[in-house]
Amino acid sequence: MLIDRASLINRDLDPSLPTYSKPRSYRKLIDGSNETIVTFLTILSASMVLFIFAFIVIKSLGVISANGIALITSTGFDQQIRNAYSAPQAATAWQFGLFGLILGTLTTTLGALIIAVPTGIGTALVIAELAPVGIRYTLQTVVRLLASIPSVIYGLAGLMVVVPFIQEAFISSSMQIKYIDRFQLSGNSMLAGILVLSIMIVPIIITLSVDAINAVPFRYKEASLALGLSYWRTIVKVILPAAKSGIFAGIILAMGRAIGEAIALAMVCGGIGNIPRVSDGMVALLTPVLTLASAIVNKSEMMSVKSIESALFACGLILLITSIIISLSARLVEYLVIRREGRA
Amino acid sequence: MPDIRLIRDWCGLILSWLACSLTMAGCISIIIFLFIRGSAQMNPEFIFCAPIPSLNQDMSGGISTPIIGTILLTLIATVIAVPWAVGTAVYLSEYAGNRSGVRVFRLAIDVLSGVPTIVIAIFGLAIFSLPQMSFLSSVVEGVEGVNRAFGRSFLVAGATMAVMILPFVIRVCEEALYAVPLNYRESALAVGASRWQSISTVVLPAARNGIISGVILGMGRIIGDTAIVWLTLGGTLRMTGLQPWWQPNHWLSTLQNTGSTLTSYIYFASPAGEGNMPEKAFGAALVLIIIIIFLNIAVDLLGNMGNKIREN
Repeated sequence: MLIDRASLINRDLDPSLPTYSKPRSYRKLIDGSNETIVTFLTILSASMVLFIFAFIVIKSLGVISANGIALITSTGFDQQIRNAYSAPQAATAWQFGLFGLILGTLTTTLGALIIAVPTGIGTALVIAELAPVGIRYTLQTVVRLLASIPSVIYGLAGLMVVVPFIQEAFISSSMQIKYIDRFQLSGNSMLAGILVLSIMIVPIIITLSVDAINAVPFRYKEASLALGLSYWRTIVKVILPAAKSGIFAGIILAMGRAIGEAIALAMVCGGIGNIPRVSDGMVALLTPVLTLASAIVNKSEMMSVKSIESALFACGLILLITSIIISLSARLVEYLVIRREGRA
Repeated sequence: MPDIRLIRDWCGLILSWLACSLTMAGCISIIIFLFIRGSAQMNPEFIFCAPIPSLNQDMSGGISTPIIGTILLTLIATVIAVPWAVGTAVYLSEYAGNRSGVRVFRLAIDVLSGVPTIVIAIFGLAIFSLPQMSFLSSVVEGVEGVNRAFGRSFLVAGATMAVMILPFVIRVCEEALYAVPLNYRESALAVGASRWQSISTVVLPAARNGIISGVILGMGRIIGDTAIVWLTLGGTLRMTGLQPWWQPNHWLSTLQNTGSTLTSYIYFASPAGEGNMPEKAFGAALVLIIIIIFLNIAVDLLGNMGNKIREN
């Protein structure tokens, strides 16, 4: 039987004709609704950052309006927390100063970067250039494992190995007596935090640096070797400069991780918002510190007090803003390099 | 006189190898250390007994509820995060193109992946403490003038974890979808499949391995995270829902109440927490690291499988 042209086109609409698949209108409906659903999901995931920002700002408004700029320039967090916790409900203590915590975050992060950046780049060079091809994969597997060890395990290992080691190696009882009126030197210190943090962020630097080094075109290396440069000179003068952007991105991301690390530092850093004094010399490394992130973990049990809750959310707000700046600047580094090299 | 440049070269090489061996030694010694200290605890009693609050380390029971808490939390968060992340990845790779609005979405998701977990944890606490959200946890009762939800439960922690792993799973899924050759889509469209049919029956199955390894990576992050668990799961030793918590009619109550996972148990049992029973912490840490190693192996195997399929 011949089918006329109209019924061929309108087969979906004519119920008397056999249908070979679901009608086109149904398919259109499914397609359209699914597109709407995935669009909605995407908008939801993209706006999550805004939600987080809004909620944390709202919760920290109390402390911010009570302290103003003094919130990030004044000190004395430990005493203020104690005051706020013991204050009667009618007279809530709203005065907080987070400068000590900010300083603690900066010092531990910088110290960890000082250790982790050379180690990470050296390891990346070995994995990407120096090691025999056969063992590169094994080395990378170990690095990936290092990256996936949970932070609480680093904290536990730090607390059971690094902290006693620091106490035995560097701290004498005469030193303890000298500083007893300010804090107790127990090995829970900035140095322990720096060591634990540096091994936590090293895999990030390694992974991104290896990717960057592998992305350097092979002919750069050939040209440099052909000009008579030694292998090491080639690495320093040609490969590393060419891989610079990726390595910088890795360092920036590692910095973000170090600033936001909470649990491991809460375990090994001593939990006192002490300000390291330059006059102490190297002993400043052995003093306990508190970082913004570990303060939230450390004082989370006191969150039932409204002002403390607000202060901890203010810590979170500082962390959030820092992390946003870090992410954006990592993107910016990438963009600038691409533009300068004319690849865009 | 030896050539100064030769010495410089050798110094560089030796320093690089030194850095590498330092990193490797760090990783391997942590794992060996955990195996040595933790293996003393490894017996059926430790795995299958519930923890008992006790000052005596020998009487503090095992880690059965933390293990189950880890599994529960991972399941809840995965169930929430995977459809969400796969949907987003499908939109970004199949529908979005390169419009400027879409670039803002990508940037926002990128920024989300850089937000510290502790910030996401207090965000979860804030949003799920709203009185409207009390169906996910419990209502705070008995306190005068306070109208808010408790904000700490398995459901709350799972939802917060889902936000945490979302950007990672999105990124891995997106890469997996990009790796599907364009002619798969063209052939599907050419034989008359609609756009959604080509995605759901051709593109997604082709990207299956990549998506699964993304999900496993996300699970690894859930299992290893402590900050979110500590703040939004409450970090109590035992399940605090209606007892006994395993009875089917008490499941909802268990999910709405606090509990512990391996990570929060380790934090609790370490000298930094209240428990101070380091041997138990090492036992739990060993179990945790074994789970993590298995997940890593699974991702590796999936990756190899994908390569083999592509070679054939």
